[in-house]
Amino acid sequence: MLTYTDFLLAMPLFSLTVTVLLIIATEAARVGRARFSQFLAITGLLVTSLLAGLNLRESGVAFQGMIATDAASSYLTILLSLAGIVTALVARPYFEHRDAHRGEFYILLLFAIIGMVLMASANDLITLFLGIELMSFCLYVLAGFERTKDKQNESALKYFLLGAFASAFLLYGIALIYGSVGSTNLDAIARAYAGISNQPLFLLGTAMLIVGLGFKVAAVPFHMWAPDVYEGAPTVVTGFMATAGKSAAFAALAIVMIRTFDIGGSTTADVLALLAAASMVLGNVVAIAQTNLKRMLAYSSVAHAGYLLAGVAAGTAEGFAGVFLYLTAYTVTTLGAFAVIGWHERTNDEGTSLDDYVGLSQHQPVIAAVMALYMFSLTGIPPFAGFIGKYYVFMAAVRADLTWLAIVGVLTSAVSAFYYLRVIVMMYFRERDGEHIPLPRIPVMIALGITAALVIVVGVLPSTVLQLFMPAM
Amino acid sequence: MLESYIPIFMMLALGVAFAVAMGKINEIVGPKRPSEEKLSTYESGMEPVRTARERFSVKFYMVAMLFIIFDIEVVFLYPWAVSFRSLGIQGFVTMLIFLSILLIGYYYVWRKGALEWD
Amino acid sequence: MDLYTISFYMFAVLLLGSAIVVVFSRNIVRAAFALMITLLSIAAFYVLMMADFVGIVQLLLYVGGILVLILFGVMLTNRQISVDIREGAIQTIPAVIVTSTIGGILAGAIWSTAWPMREAARSVAATAPVIGEMFLTTYLLPFEVASVLLLVALVGAALIARRERKS
Repeated sequence: MLTYTDFLLAMPLFSLTVTVLLIIATEAARVGRARFSQFLAITGLLVTSLLAGLNLRESGVAFQGMIATDAASSYLTILLSLAGIVTALVARPYFEHRDAHRGEFYILLLFAIIGMVLMASANDLITLFLGIELMSFCLYVLAGFERTKDKQNESALKYFLLGAFASAFLLYGIALIYGSVGSTNLDAIARAYAGISNQPLFLLGTAMLIVGLGFKVAAVPFHMWAPDVYEGAPTVVTGFMATAGKSAAFAALAIVMIRTFDIGGSTTADVLALLAAASMVLGNVVAIAQTNLKRMLAYSSVAHAGYLLAGVAAGTAEGFAGVFLYLTAYTVTTLGAFAVIGWHERTNDEGTSLDDYVGLSQHQPVIAAVMALYMFSLTGIPPFAGFIGKYYVFMAAVRADLTWLAIVGVLTSAVSAFYYLRVIVMMYFRERDGEHIPLPRIPVMIALGITAALVIVVGVLPSTVLQLFMPAM
Repeated sequence: MLESYIPIFMMLALGVAFAVAMGKINEIVGPKRPSEEKLSTYESGMEPVRTARERFSVKFYMVAMLFIIFDIEVVFLYPWAVSFRSLGIQGFVTMLIFLSILLIGYYYVWRKGALEWD
Repeated sequence: MDLYTISFYMFAVLLLGSAIVVVFSRNIVRAAFALMITLLSIAAFYVLMMADFVGIVQLLLYVGGILVLILFGVMLTNRQISVDIREGAIQTIPAVIVTSTIGGILAGAIWSTAWPMREAARSVAATAPVIGEMFLTTYLLPFEVASVLLLVALVGAALIARRERKS
C-alpha cells in the first residue's frame, strides 16, 4: 500500500506533472498565449526545485522500490529544474525573434524534465528506461521544433533514428540483466552483484547498457549523432539537451555503475576508462577544426563526456561526487554559452560561425565578458566552476589507480584551451566590421546573470555545493 | 494448458479453408464475362495507374499514430479489466488517473484540430 | 513428439522463413507482409511460453497496430510499389563482421548460462489477472508513467503533424 512517505519523496515529480497537465489544458482551451505557458512552466519549475530542496535531507525508496530519493537525486532535480528555468527564460526571445514561439515548447520541456528526474531517482531498471524514453521522445520533437526548417528536420530525424537504435540496445541490456539476476530492482541487483559479476550474460547486459547510455551521453564511439543534431536543432534546445540531457544520463550511469554495480577496478571500469580517454582525445582534437560555434561545442560536449566518464570509471564515492560536481559546472557553463549563441544568432541561422564573433567586445563588452567567463570555465581555468569539476574527477581517477586517465585528461584539457581561448581572441583582439547586435532582452540577461554567478560560486565554494548532494563527505 | 488453444487453431484452419473454398467455388461456378475495365487492377475505386511522384498529406499518418496510441491504452486496460473485482477501489482510482491523463491528451489533440480531416 | 514440440518447430520454421523473406525480399510490400507472419509467429512463441497476455499484446500492437502503420507508410509514401529497396551492396563485409560477432557473443552467452528451469511454469493459469494486479501495486509508478509517455506521444505527434495556420 502507498503511504504518506511515498508521496512526500515523489513530490517534485508530482509538481512537474501537475504543472505540465495544467499547461496542456490551458493550451488546449486557448486560454492564454504561449507566454502564459512560459509563465506556468517557470513557476512550476521553481516550485519543483523548492520541493526538491525540502527533500535534500530525506532519503528512502518510494513506490515499492521503483524510485529512491536521496540528497544526490534531490540535488540533481534542482539542477535540472534550474536548467529548465534558464531554457524557458531564453526560449521566448529566441523563438519570438524567429516567429516560432509556441506553448508546446514548454510542454515538451517539462515532460523531458520529468523523464530526467525519473532517471536521476530511478531505483529500478524499468523506471530508468521509462525515464530515458520520456526524455528522449521530448528531445526528438524539440530538435525539430520549427517544422519548416530543413536543418531542424534533419537534426530531429537523425536523433530519432539513432536514439531509437540506442534504446533498443539499452532495453536488451536490461532484459539480459533481468535474465541473470531475476529482478530489475537496483537494490536486488546490488545484492546479487558479487555473485554474478563474472557471468557472461550479465557482462553482456552491462555492455549493452553502456552502449545505450553511452549514446545518450554522446561518448566516443557512440557520439556520431551529436555534431549534426547539436548544430541543426534550435540553439535553446541544443543548450538544454547538451546540459540537462547529459546530466540525467550521467546520473543514471553513475547510479547504475557506481552505486549498484560497484565496478571499481573491474573490467567494466577499464572499458569505461578506455571510452573516457577516446572521448577526451577525439572530442578535443576534432573541436579544434570547427568553425561553427554550435558544432564546436558539440565536440566539446563529447570531450566533457570523456571527463565525466573518468569519474564513473573510478567507481568510488569520490568518483560519484566528482561526476555530480562536474555536471553542475558543465551545466551552468554550457547553458550560459548556448544562451549567448542563441542571442547572437540571426533569424536565418546565421551568426553561429566563429567569424561572426569578431570584435564582439567593442559592441557588447558585458556579453563578451560573460562569454569569456564561460570559455575560461570550460577550459578548466581556476577559480571557475569547470576547474573544480575537473579537479575532483581527476583526483578520483588517480585514487582509483587510473593515473594514466587523469594524465590524458590534463593533456587534452590543455589542447582544449586552444579552441576555447580562440573564441576569446576573436571577441577581444580583432576589429569588428560586422553588424551591430542589440543587447539581449531582460529574460536572457537574467539567464546569463544566473549562470555566470553560478560559474563563479561553484568555482569558489565547491565544498558547500558538495555538502548539498553528499552530506556525508 | 496448451490444449486450450486447440479451438483457436481449429478456427484458424476453418477460416482459411472457408476462404480458399469460397474463392475456388466462385472461380469454378461463376459466369465469366471479361471486359477491359474488369480486367484492370482494382484499388478501392482509385485510378490504378498514376504518377508515382506524389506527396501525401501528413494527416494520414496522424490518424495512424493516434490509433496506435489509443491501441496501447486499450492493452493497459485489459489486465485491469479481467481482475477488476479483486483490485477494488484502489485499482479503480489508479485507472482513473491513468485514463484522465490520456483524456487530457485527447482533449488537447481535439482542440488542436488533429482529429479534423480538413 | 508431443503437441508442444510440434507447434514449437512449426512456428520456428515459419518465423525464420518469413524473417528471411523480410530481409532478402526486393519488394518492400512483400517484405512488409512477411513481417506480419514473423510477428504472428512471435506471438505464437509467447503463447507457447505460457505468456498469454504478452501474446495478446503482440497481436494487438504489433500485428494490429505497428504493422498497419508500416504498410500505411509503405503504400502512401511510395506508390511505385515495385521499387528496388536494396541499392547495391554497401559495406557488406563490415556488416557481416559486426553482426556475426554480436550474434556469436550473444549465442555464446546464452549457451554458457545456467538458465533457471521452472517445470511449474508450464501449468500456470492465465497471466493477465496477475499482470493487472502487478500494474496497480508493485509497478504502479511505471504504469502511470506509461500514460504520461503516451501523452507525450500524442502531443508530439500533434505538433509535428500540425497544419501551419496563416494568421
